[in-house]
Amino acid sequence: MLSEERNIESVALSGRETGRLTDPDIRDEFGLETMDMNMGPQHPAMHGLLRLILELDGETVVRCDPVMGYLHRCQEKIAENRMYPAVIPLTDRLDYFANMHNEHGYCLAVEDLLEAEIPPRAEHIRVLMSELMRLASHIPSIGFLLLELGAFTPILYSFRERERIQNIFEAVTGARMMYHYIRIGGVKADLPPGMEDQIWEYIEGLEQRFTRDFVDLIAGNEIFVSRTRDIGKMSPEKALEMGLTGPPLRCTGVDFDVRRDYPYSIYDELDFDVITDDAGDVEASYRVRIGECLQSIRLIKQLLERMPEGEVMGKVGRRVRPPEGEGFSRIESPRGEFAVHIVSDGSDTPYRVHYRDPSFANMQLLQEIVPGHYLPDIMPIMGLIDPVSGGWDK
Amino acid sequence: MQTVLNLLEQEPLRFILAFGAILFLTLNLAAVLTMAERKVSAYIHLRYGPNRVGPRGILQPLADVFKLFTKENVSPNRADRWIFLAAPIAMFLPAAVVWLVIPFAPGAVVADINVAILFFVAVTSIGALGVIMAGYGSRSTFSLLGALRGAAQMISYEVPLILSLLGVVVLAGSLSFVDVVEAQAGGFWNWYFLPLFPTFLAFYISGLAEVKRVPFDLPEGESEIVGGFMIEYSGMTWALIQAAEFAGMGLMSAITTTLFLGGWQPPFEFLDLGQFNWVWFGLKTALIMFTFQWIRWSIPRLRMDQLMDLGWKVLVPLTLVWLVVVAGVMLIV
Repeated sequence: MLSEERNIESVALSGRETGRLTDPDIRDEFGLETMDMNMGPQHPAMHGLLRLILELDGETVVRCDPVMGYLHRCQEKIAENRMYPAVIPLTDRLDYFANMHNEHGYCLAVEDLLEAEIPPRAEHIRVLMSELMRLASHIPSIGFLLLELGAFTPILYSFRERERIQNIFEAVTGARMMYHYIRIGGVKADLPPGMEDQIWEYIEGLEQRFTRDFVDLIAGNEIFVSRTRDIGKMSPEKALEMGLTGPPLRCTGVDFDVRRDYPYSIYDELDFDVITDDAGDVEASYRVRIGECLQSIRLIKQLLERMPEGEVMGKVGRRVRPPEGEGFSRIESPRGEFAVHIVSDGSDTPYRVHYRDPSFANMQLLQEIVPGHYLPDIMPIMGLIDPVSGGWDK
Repeated sequence: MQTVLNLLEQEPLRFILAFGAILFLTLNLAAVLTMAERKVSAYIHLRYGPNRVGPRGILQPLADVFKLFTKENVSPNRADRWIFLAAPIAMFLPAAVVWLVIPFAPGAVVADINVAILFFVAVTSIGALGVIMAGYGSRSTFSLLGALRGAAQMISYEVPLILSLLGVVVLAGSLSFVDVVEAQAGGFWNWYFLPLFPTFLAFYISGLAEVKRVPFDLPEGESEIVGGFMIEYSGMTWALIQAAEFAGMGLMSAITTTLFLGGWQPPFEFLDLGQFNWVWFGLKTALIMFTFQWIRWSIPRLRMDQLMDLGWKVLVPLTLVWLVVVAGVMLIV
């Protein structure tokens, strides 16, 4: 039984230096061994089902190996056997804290294949939903960071906001998490009557509450600062080398945002700033997320002000049969760059779908920067990456 | 009837009865405190908290205790069974025993021993042993880490705790809790938290660390080592550990009250309730307990090295300096 377990582990770690697993006699000058510790997959701070194989020297982490795959659902393979519109509900299950972004990214890739025209109102609603989703993802991620540092209260405050945004989504789409709202060619339905005022009212309220609940209560706290400053510190070169995107990249000072640098939908017509920070540690990522929330609020207000009238569904047939070729899209999800690549063979099912999920790509950070930190520092570093289980295990 | 009363006059029997009563009170205090903890946290979180069992949920502790009694007591296969089962008792008993020397009201103290402060220090340090036993006996990496953290933390913070006690001893000139409370008579300006304010803060912080509350709950560390030394416990053994934690918290509040807030002394002379002065004791203890809970739900947890820095580099020098200052002033006056 034990040897079988070892085998599974070595398969999971194949092609990598596995340290203690292959050489059990590593001892330091005092004859003391390091301790192996298995964190997860069932662990409250592992953002879902992540397993970390840690080698500890006292409380210091010597080696950190993330093992993924506990939530793998063959998303890309299933997509090959479904008709194009039927893949959209599957994308909801990818990164379940950024459902709207996944739908948006997939639909953009199919529309790239079809070269479809999207009505302006549909574009506005799509971006509106994406920005609300970004708020519903960034605010809880601040709460999670604090939860992992041992403060329980902020998570409840942040979920109160997420709850209200989910109420908006429920009114608009009929579902609270798995929306299936953004469709190929537009969106499923127009906003219900009075919805724009309701969103405006909520955003106004949030703007007032935001600084009080998520900045004043947290940012200056001595313990919060001492637990996050200089933790997970990395240089911009390192971040680029590891292929990071999203807040983990921007917190090192690299000015990159897909919304501005490769604009999709109507982002090039909107006015917003890309938030960066120079510190490149956990505290900086917190500040970046706070700044992005405020930018999202700004974007939502602009969208509501300029919301055009008209159709919400373009002229795309019920049966989607794109021509042979390749479709590609990249969007800025709350966690970083989410890209979809579709290869079509001219039939009504995709030949191949590939998702580039930011949670998966940003996860490389763990192996690189965790060694040398103390064991409790893993938690804020997880908060810096803020991965989602459904994202890294497609 | 008379014979029963005569029997009660006898010291050993009186002591056994009193100890039973104290044990009963401690367990009940723990149950009430779990409830208070949940209600206070709910208030801070803008929630309702438990409100289903009984009016406003006040019977929730009963339901919890019943649930824990009926749960299976699982011990891991590779655990060191005796150490594993003895650890909760080793944690709970010290927290209960110290209540014996605390004066609740004038004359209401089970054992007025003349070295009560020493007794308190000696007995509470057994609690660290319980933590080590629990962590070592469970044979899990998580609980081992928790136990090592717990041992390091509780032993380190014993130093500022004792040093801050010394200030009180210097002022009161006695090691007996009864004498310390008597010395603080006559209005709140005579309570020791004013002349010994830095020491009072150091004692409060070390007390928090000693009972393993946030921000010093590293041995538990629920987000990194998921419960630490108590990760393998379930059912009644787990309940006993929880009871020990809460009783320890109650105890630390009671000791803080006795040493620095005048024990059962009323804040003003005219509010003296005579035998009923235990009301003042209860109110002050409850206030300290509330601040413990307030802190618990407001701030994050420190890291081990930061904890050690705070203990050795801030609290120990602070208490030492203030001890010298107080002793010098006492010498001159």
